Amino acid sequence: MIVRKLIAAASTGLLLVTAGCGGSAPSGAAGDAAGSGSGPVRIGALHPVSGSMAVDGLQMRRGAQLAVEKINEAGGIASLGGRDVQLTTADTQGKPEIGQSEAQRLISGGAVGLVGTYQSSVSSNVSVVAERNEVPFVMDVTAADEIFQHGYRYSFRVQPGNGAIATSAAEFLTKVSEQAGKPVRKVAIMHEQTDFGTGAADAFTEAATDLGLEVAPRISYDATTASDFTSQITQVKASGADVLAVSGYYSDSLLIAQAINAVKPDLDAVWGVSNGAYDQPKFVSDAGPIGENYFSTNYHFDAQNPETRQLREEYQRRYGAPMRTGAVLAYDAVQTIAAGVEHAGSTDPVAVRNAIAKVKVDPLTVGDGPVRFGRDGENVNSAAVLMQIQNGRVKQVYPPRKAESDPDYSVAW
Amino acid sequence: MTATIDSEPRASVNLAVLKRAGMVGVLVAAAVVFALLKSGSGIVVWQSVVTGLLTGGLYGLIAMGLTLIFGVLDIVNFAHGAMLAVAMFISFGVVQATGLHPYLTMLVTVPALFLVGAAVHRGLLSGSGGATLENQLLITLGLSLLLENGLLMFFGAEPKNVTLPGETQFGVFGAVVSGSRLYAFLGAIALGLLLYWMLQHTRLGTAVRAVASNGPGAELVGINVRRIHTLTFAIGAACAGAAAALAVPLLSVTPTLGEQFNITAFVVVVLGGMGNVVGALVGGLLIGLVEQLTTIYLDGQSSLLGVFVVFVLVLFLRPQGLFGRRT
Amino acid sequence: MTDTATTGAAGATRATAAQAGTAPPLRPQNRQLLILAVLVLLAIPLPLILPPAQGAVAVRILIFLIMAVGWNIMSGFGGLFSFGHAAYFGLGAYTSAYLLVEHGVSPWVGMAAGMAVAAAVAMVIGYFSFRYNLKGAYFALATFAFAEMLRLVTTSTDAVNGAVGYQVPLIQGSSVWQLQFPAGSPAYFWIALVLAGLAVAVSILFRHSHAGRYVVAIRDDELAAASVGAPVMRHKLLTVALSAAITAIAGAFYTQYYLFIDPQLAFGSSVSIEAIVTAVIGGIGTIWGPVVGAVIVGSLSDVTATLLATPPEFLGFLQGRSGLDVILYAVMLILIVRLMPKGIFGTLAGKISERRRR
Repeated sequence: MIVRKLIAAASTGLLLVTAGCGGSAPSGAAGDAAGSGSGPVRIGALHPVSGSMAVDGLQMRRGAQLAVEKINEAGGIASLGGRDVQLTTADTQGKPEIGQSEAQRLISGGAVGLVGTYQSSVSSNVSVVAERNEVPFVMDVTAADEIFQHGYRYSFRVQPGNGAIATSAAEFLTKVSEQAGKPVRKVAIMHEQTDFGTGAADAFTEAATDLGLEVAPRISYDATTASDFTSQITQVKASGADVLAVSGYYSDSLLIAQAINAVKPDLDAVWGVSNGAYDQPKFVSDAGPIGENYFSTNYHFDAQNPETRQLREEYQRRYGAPMRTGAVLAYDAVQTIAAGVEHAGSTDPVAVRNAIAKVKVDPLTVGDGPVRFGRDGENVNSAAVLMQIQNGRVKQVYPPRKAESDPDYSVAW
Repeated sequence: MTATIDSEPRASVNLAVLKRAGMVGVLVAAAVVFALLKSGSGIVVWQSVVTGLLTGGLYGLIAMGLTLIFGVLDIVNFAHGAMLAVAMFISFGVVQATGLHPYLTMLVTVPALFLVGAAVHRGLLSGSGGATLENQLLITLGLSLLLENGLLMFFGAEPKNVTLPGETQFGVFGAVVSGSRLYAFLGAIALGLLLYWMLQHTRLGTAVRAVASNGPGAELVGINVRRIHTLTFAIGAACAGAAAALAVPLLSVTPTLGEQFNITAFVVVVLGGMGNVVGALVGGLLIGLVEQLTTIYLDGQSSLLGVFVVFVLVLFLRPQGLFGRRT
Repeated sequence: MTDTATTGAAGATRATAAQAGTAPPLRPQNRQLLILAVLVLLAIPLPLILPPAQGAVAVRILIFLIMAVGWNIMSGFGGLFSFGHAAYFGLGAYTSAYLLVEHGVSPWVGMAAGMAVAAAVAMVIGYFSFRYNLKGAYFALATFAFAEMLRLVTTSTDAVNGAVGYQVPLIQGSSVWQLQFPAGSPAYFWIALVLAGLAVAVSILFRHSHAGRYVVAIRDDELAAASVGAPVMRHKLLTVALSAAITAIAGAFYTQYYLFIDPQLAFGSSVSIEAIVTAVIGGIGTIWGPVVGAVIVGSLSDVTATLLATPPEFLGFLQGRSGLDVILYAVMLILIVRLMPKGIFGTLAGKISERRRR
């Protein structure tokens, strides 16, 4: 009896003690490096390196780190006398509140700019922090478009947004299907129901309808609970649609592919729109032959750019895994902030922000030109590219000047 | 449990059960007709019905373990879903390490979960601390958080997939069924029948039923009630272990999949009647149907919403479930 | 329980003390209010002393505190175990967010509206649950189902922005009326402190009021209480309404502090679980239990996050992993329920009063 009470009291005491010690997390002197003469120029990176998004988060953090190394190898920030750049990292754990407090911590630690965060809800919160503290925030991966409707001056984005990708997807679909002699009339769309899938589906529907296509049926699902899609695919089959568009995360898109393989609807093509699986090497290995000929419109690293190839080879050598587009976007984002510091010739975040707003940076991801930001903070030259899984490899197939091979407008069954 | 206690003359019990089965049948038929009207396509509704029933078999197997625990021990095991997740990880691990056929991992998951269940009961739930309802809810809640986050911490959250060797598709009057789903259904039914047989026709099963119906009485006739309690909890956990081996080729294995099955299992248990093993199986089939048909009725809503609506209706209108007795 | 005994004894003491001409000891209610006042006063300088990262943890602790106090009123004092308190937190958060973003209404008004909405919904759910005699596990599951249903419906309803949620529009400078201040401003802590203080005060007053004593009597033995004429349904509804209203305050403040809300943050099961764990670890059914619990659970996430980011040598394998904070409070929950069922505060208080009586 006494022993039990002692154990319980001791364990709680231990916890309180660790709370006391651990609680004094090093926060760094508030904003000391920013503006002072000689320390490294700090850029903050906020990614989910624990939790369900950890694999992508870790990739992106590494991509950012590689960018910092390349900058320092090339001599650092020349306009500041060759000062080195340093990456200060934080784990958002995939939670908006943590993202917010970590962003605050990095800013207090002297970061002149932030990159991140992979998740729209986290990015929304960090953009608020950035705005209030007047520190530029360049988003590498963030799908939602709403953030850019608030008129924030300190938020920028490198990737094409949900709306842009979906619009491109609709355009590419009409062009490629016409080219193949089977012009598309009716597209079914399946999307997961959070803001990611719904945003993509809304934009795709609008763009496709403007191009004269019929978009039906529109099927949404809860990605966290759906475990079988045969009913939904049967619905698609019964509707007589020519093409099925899919906006989903990885696991559900994989299940959809399996359901398609089971039901074998009479489709001309499977068209991923901002899809989390259909341009990933992991999907190719998980799905095998059933994923053959799947299309996907998405942002992508530029496979034709030799610098991109080198970077990806370096990543593969160091970490033993293929470098995903998210990581390349993080690389581009860090390069953008560094270019801003270079042009501003100062580490004052406001000056850096003003320089970023005018800067042009050559990206290693697919684009219509250098990274350049419009009034709203969006990259005007961001572009999506159409990819297809051909012979077990993801290839860029459209538009022609970015294509590695020709599109094969068909399905594998 | 209640379906087997002969406190009323056989004939009237059968009549009541038949009446209820009939009512359920009518409701299901009405639901199907409504779905037909809403979607306008027979093949779509038929596919939903087939997928729903097959998935429901698996829910039934998971729920059988849960309802057994509740019927005999009066414990609401919130950690049931988490235990299922643990078993799935074990199954995945075994397949990865040895290349064994996924269904054969049952030979590992069932004993493993049996032991886990016994340990959990002896360690956490028996004795004075685990007596009150609130304490049980809290302890099993804590356990589910512990198991789930333990899995998250040690295995990470990246989904893991296992494919069934020799996966094929079957046609069922126009509906398509993947082999893994059909086998899981057949396996669940077989195991359910096995469990039912064990309860009805073995000495252990009789002892379990005795403890369920009258604990002090069973003690008086010499049954070691505490041992039966632990055994029953262990058997309930083992059901989850078996279900895991059957389900692993169907899903991506993540630490949090236990949550979604937990909710569904509780709804099935309440629908079938807490403590009623056959009820759990039937309830599972019905919930599987509800899940699939919801996507037809409520376009754009999660299938979980339909399940919750049924849940709330059952809780308020007939809390003893389809086959339970009004207390 | 002990309450009638102490009031009886206090009454007797007061009588004798009045006769002897000395000052009577305080009634338990006033003693607790005094302790509360002291705690609040002591807490005021905290945001000025703590570094900014810990300032955020302190605000988090206060939010947990309010949630736990709300939960404790219904599930501790009232014995009506709720597994879905996220419903009321979320209703508070969404009501104030919706009114602010769509109609420009001040968050204070939004908070009041949120409290009203949450209380109304709680009474509806409560009325049907009590009428249909849902008890124990069934009642808990029903509350959970309602919270989940709210989450699912909110996610797919465009009128409340669906899965995107609401972002609070930024203003320049500070405004108490708009409940928005510069990042890291101590004003957030002070406002949260006032709200938390009020919540605990309400819980103290409720506990010692006539209604509160009826509620505890109903919890302990509903049949007996009804047989001596306590109006059962009315008091149960009052309890759930009060509990929901207080929890809604936490939700509305949360939205203003983090400037963002979405269905998962508002109605997710982790919110319900945090309310339960905080109150139980601290001491279910006591006044100070939620306070103690909030301090422990609130700071736990921060501690484990630091630990996981830069672990010491022997814990190196923990690097980059997540879920440790939940594991720790799950273990604590189990240990406390098994070994110290009255929670940390409840057990300590029990031992102190034991020693005093000897």
